[in-house]
Amino acid sequence: MIRLEGVTKVYEGGTAATRDLSLEIPKGQFVFLVGPSGSGKSTLVRLILREEDVTRGNIWVAGKDITKLPRWKIPQLRRSVGTVFQDFKLLPNKTVYENVAFALEVLGHPRGVVQHQVRQVVELVGLAGKGDRYPHQLSGGEQQRVSIARSFVNRPPILLADEPTGNLDPATSVGIMRLLDRINRTGTTIVMATHDHAIVDAMRRRVVALEHGRVSSDVDGGVYDESAARAATPVVPAAVPKVDPAESTAATKVDDADDVMVAAVEALEASAPDTSAGTAE
Amino acid sequence: MIRLGYVLRDALQNMRRNVFVAIGATVAVFVSLVLSFGALVGNEVVASNTGQWQEGEHIAVFLKDAADGITSADHISLQAEVQQWTEVLEVRYVDRAEAWAEYQELYKDSPAVLGVSDPSVVPRSIRIKLNDIDSFEDVEFRLEGHPAVRRITGQGEVIKRLSSFSKTLKRVAIGIAVVQGSAAIILIANTIRLAIYARRDEIAVMKLVGASNWFIQIPFLIEGLIEGLLGAALAVGTVWFGLKYAQDNFDVLDFLRIEVSNGFFARQGFAYLVFGASAGFFGSAIGVRRFMRV
Repeated sequence: MIRLEGVTKVYEGGTAATRDLSLEIPKGQFVFLVGPSGSGKSTLVRLILREEDVTRGNIWVAGKDITKLPRWKIPQLRRSVGTVFQDFKLLPNKTVYENVAFALEVLGHPRGVVQHQVRQVVELVGLAGKGDRYPHQLSGGEQQRVSIARSFVNRPPILLADEPTGNLDPATSVGIMRLLDRINRTGTTIVMATHDHAIVDAMRRRVVALEHGRVSSDVDGGVYDESAARAATPVVPAAVPKVDPAESTAATKVDDADDVMVAAVEALEASAPDTSAGTAE
Repeated sequence: MIRLGYVLRDALQNMRRNVFVAIGATVAVFVSLVLSFGALVGNEVVASNTGQWQEGEHIAVFLKDAADGITSADHISLQAEVQQWTEVLEVRYVDRAEAWAEYQELYKDSPAVLGVSDPSVVPRSIRIKLNDIDSFEDVEFRLEGHPAVRRITGQGEVIKRLSSFSKTLKRVAIGIAVVQGSAAIILIANTIRLAIYARRDEIAVMKLVGASNWFIQIPFLIEGLIEGLLGAALAVGTVWFGLKYAQDNFDVLDFLRIEVSNGFFARQGFAYLVFGASAGFFGSAIGVRRFMRV
């Protein structure tokens, strides 16, 4: 469903967000993208949406090489990729119903279709009866449900979620994850970038860890910090930096050192990289 | 697959939300076009007057008669002579009977004048039509020295002044249209930019869910078009009422007939409506363009 081959993205100013990154995500899979801030997760999401152009490499979405997509066809790509963000991106002057309907209206769907589909999806995300509320009258979790409803209302084959639980407390996050899981079971491919260890560890799905713009580990049914997990069972710190040190810049070396330390020190367990990532932001 | 109703509603909603800005843009178009259109119509009034005079006979030469020792034969030979001049298109001899008929027509509302007149009081004349009105001074100068000529009346001076006035007015109309028109386009571009800024969140979501660029732009383009059209309509309406007012109040001036054919007004009015609408549309296209980069 999504295939990246040798994708390199260098931002203006020379910062490389992804380096020669290759990844294949089959149809219907649920994939976590994990890694510290700056590891390239968000860039990956933006590249798949063609909000950014690749510097090198190719990205196929639903069989089409989107790096070669003419600009005027980008909207079509985005119609097949639903998106959910940490900050919900709801329109404050529209009700729940209107926010979701908006996504269909602007695609030019007739009113009858819009009404039918919106009602269905609002029910699906568990907001039946709250259609007339405005975002400020809803809790964070409910707002995120609206955002998910909006992203899913035209039944895209792919859903990208960039830290969807980033603003939510753990209990609420669980609800959101259940919802995403449910959507995944309809056959929708879901790619979720996250920092949330607990969620990743609980879901036991494919976990792709990024570091310095490369895939550092890729495990089916994995946990957030594979290196730490592996390090935890054997006593020997098995986690060796996966990035070629020769290519690492001064900045990345510091991160590498962090990682090695994290992997080695059992006591820190899985929460350490998250904290360091948090302060780095 | 774009729903016209949705797009129109969106455009009107934009204007309602930023009602003062929309009014500002409309007024800008109105002001720029009312000056230009007013000048154009004014020019047409003058031009139609000069035209009328130009089409008629330009010089009337009243002739001496038997009392001054001039005979009809002299009249005829003068007419023949003038006819030879290259500046002259046509010469007509007006004899007593014809002159009397003209006189009666002229004073038909004043029986008192007619009562004390008879054909012998009206002078015979020749009427000259020139090829080019600008040569009237030469022709009049030559006629003045002729022994058979009693008096010359001509409209050349007036026509010449009017036609140069008309040319100036036309230039002013075009100049105003260009300068004010571009100002209106820039103002509309800014208005639309403000409207887009006010809706940037909505546009971000529209892009996110894959609304086509056209769909995002069209409400703004329509908004610009409506503002341009409205401003132009106001301008045309204002000039129309101005014209009516002038006709009702200043038409006592007998040298200038304030009159514009309905055909001319309709044609030019329509052209100005189109101009206003396109100015609005292009202004808005300029305003919208920068935001459509993905």
